[in-house]
Amino acid sequence: MPNLAGTKKTVLQLLRYRASLAGILIVLAISLLALFAPLIAPRGYAETSTVDMLRPPSAQDFFGTDMYGRDVFSRVVYGARIALWVGLLVTFIEASMGITLGLLSGFYGGIIDKAISAAGDMVWAFPSVVLALGVVAILGAGLTQVVVAIAVVSWPAFTRILRAKVQSLVNREFILAAKAIGESDFSIMTRYLLPNLMPSILVVSTLTLPSAILYTTALSFLGFGAQPPTPDWGAILSEGSAQLAIAPWVATFPGIFIVITALGFNLLGDGLRDLLDPKLRI
Amino acid sequence: MDSDSTLTASLLSVEGLRTYFNVSEGVVKAVDGVSFNVEENETFCVVGETGCGKSVSALSIMRLIFHPGKIVEGKITYKGKDLLKLPENEMRKIRGKEIAMIFQNPMRSLNPVFTIGSQISEGPIAHFNLPGRDAWKNAIELISKVRMPDPEIRAKSYPHVLSGGMRQRAMIAMMISCEPSLLIADEPTTSVDVTIQAQIMDLLLDIKKKRGMSVMLITHNFGLVAEMGDRAAVMYCGKVVEVGFVEEIFREPLHPYTQGLLKCLPVGFERKKELEVIPGTLASPVNPPQGCRFSPRCNRAMSKCKLEEPALLAQGHDHLVACHLYGGE
Repeated sequence: MPNLAGTKKTVLQLLRYRASLAGILIVLAISLLALFAPLIAPRGYAETSTVDMLRPPSAQDFFGTDMYGRDVFSRVVYGARIALWVGLLVTFIEASMGITLGLLSGFYGGIIDKAISAAGDMVWAFPSVVLALGVVAILGAGLTQVVVAIAVVSWPAFTRILRAKVQSLVNREFILAAKAIGESDFSIMTRYLLPNLMPSILVVSTLTLPSAILYTTALSFLGFGAQPPTPDWGAILSEGSAQLAIAPWVATFPGIFIVITALGFNLLGDGLRDLLDPKLRI
Repeated sequence: MDSDSTLTASLLSVEGLRTYFNVSEGVVKAVDGVSFNVEENETFCVVGETGCGKSVSALSIMRLIFHPGKIVEGKITYKGKDLLKLPENEMRKIRGKEIAMIFQNPMRSLNPVFTIGSQISEGPIAHFNLPGRDAWKNAIELISKVRMPDPEIRAKSYPHVLSGGMRQRAMIAMMISCEPSLLIADEPTTSVDVTIQAQIMDLLLDIKKKRGMSVMLITHNFGLVAEMGDRAAVMYCGKVVEVGFVEEIFREPLHPYTQGLLKCLPVGFERKKELEVIPGTLASPVNPPQGCRFSPRCNRAMSKCKLEEPALLAQGHDHLVACHLYGGE
């Protein structure tokens, strides 16, 4: 008599394992695509050709060509560079802010915590895309501005998670013991709290990265991000959306890549969380 | 209060310490006017039930009381310095180097992400600017001093691979690393089993003898007091009710609470029908009873006890008691 509940559990665990494996493979593939873009892409991302306009996908151009005769496959491959670069940059900025502010507010509490939390709540009170648009409107369009805008609207999440984690650590006895041995606040934060935060930082980072990519593509789609001819996925999608009826491939392929990339990072992040935070496992 | 029977400077003297916690239920007077001295080279025990303010007194000495707690009043003099008036950076130099503290739970007192060796190195690096390599060597030496086998391998172990007793040894090594003059041990053996308890205590006594430091042992275990202590203070509900030499407290306990506690101990091999108990529960530190705080549970309480708080007064040689039964008016 097979143990049904046990089997179900194993299957679920296996699925979860498979999912994170898929995540790892996707992230690896996208990273390789970005790293070796010049080798993989058959043509330059800005190479136009008046004779090759709007050709459907074929063995010659895998993803077809757009209205300027540019190879969509090449543009999507180079787009991976932009997506990853922006994602990493935003994640780095957010992690730096989150770690600093989370440590300060979790460790000191009181007025510092209140001020940082209030600032975070204020940012969260706005619809994030609208706020990001506002920031871009002030700074002007462009990828760098987009990175700043995304960091501005999404730092509270990172900060909050780390603050909560610090709060749970700060009352542990080993922190008291560190104080009793005469450690300074700074070394308690950097040498005692920070290393214990690493798993959370890793998990939150892998989940921040795809959302940063989605924000970038969204802002680029709206025309505030990467400016032509930069092959940002969102920008390609936006350009292609005009000819969706006659040349659906131009918009479809970058869309698929956006989805796959975000999915891959999310799967990886979930897998990491299961691995690093056994308490969440049921 | 004329409780200063020894006017020669003690290593540590606590006078009229009051540490309160502001919580939503009111003000918890965890420590409410506590005075005692710790002399050089002695083992001073603080005994009492859970929640009587032993640990809070110790943390107050280290100035490790945090929100919502507050040291409201009192004077803590260590080697002639008033610790409560020191700026925080001066106090940090005292912690670990002058006064160190071992905590109840060795499981949770070690940083889970660093090796034992690097944690033991931490103190000397902070206080003496010892270079990392020397600190590591020093740590290995300390690990062998606390009688852990294979010090070099142990130094590279993480806390989770060690047993409770081993972790407490590591903790002791960490806390004696800066050669403090006073080691506060807050129930160092409550979370380890009895055989290990004896080993740890033996180790502490040995280190104390070799280093000539003083130990302030906080415990609820009278057996440990009898074994280890030179002098002891008995606390009840945030107050010291009796202080004296351990032999004297055991031979002739004065305060009814101390008498009650000692009666509760199982003695020898004879089987009593039932162990004695002190009736009632520990008085609420938010709303302590008027007069003597022990009076509602005391079988010898007089009408005066419910009205007037007894002061800690000398009864014989260095034996102080706070009880109206001995009011030598």
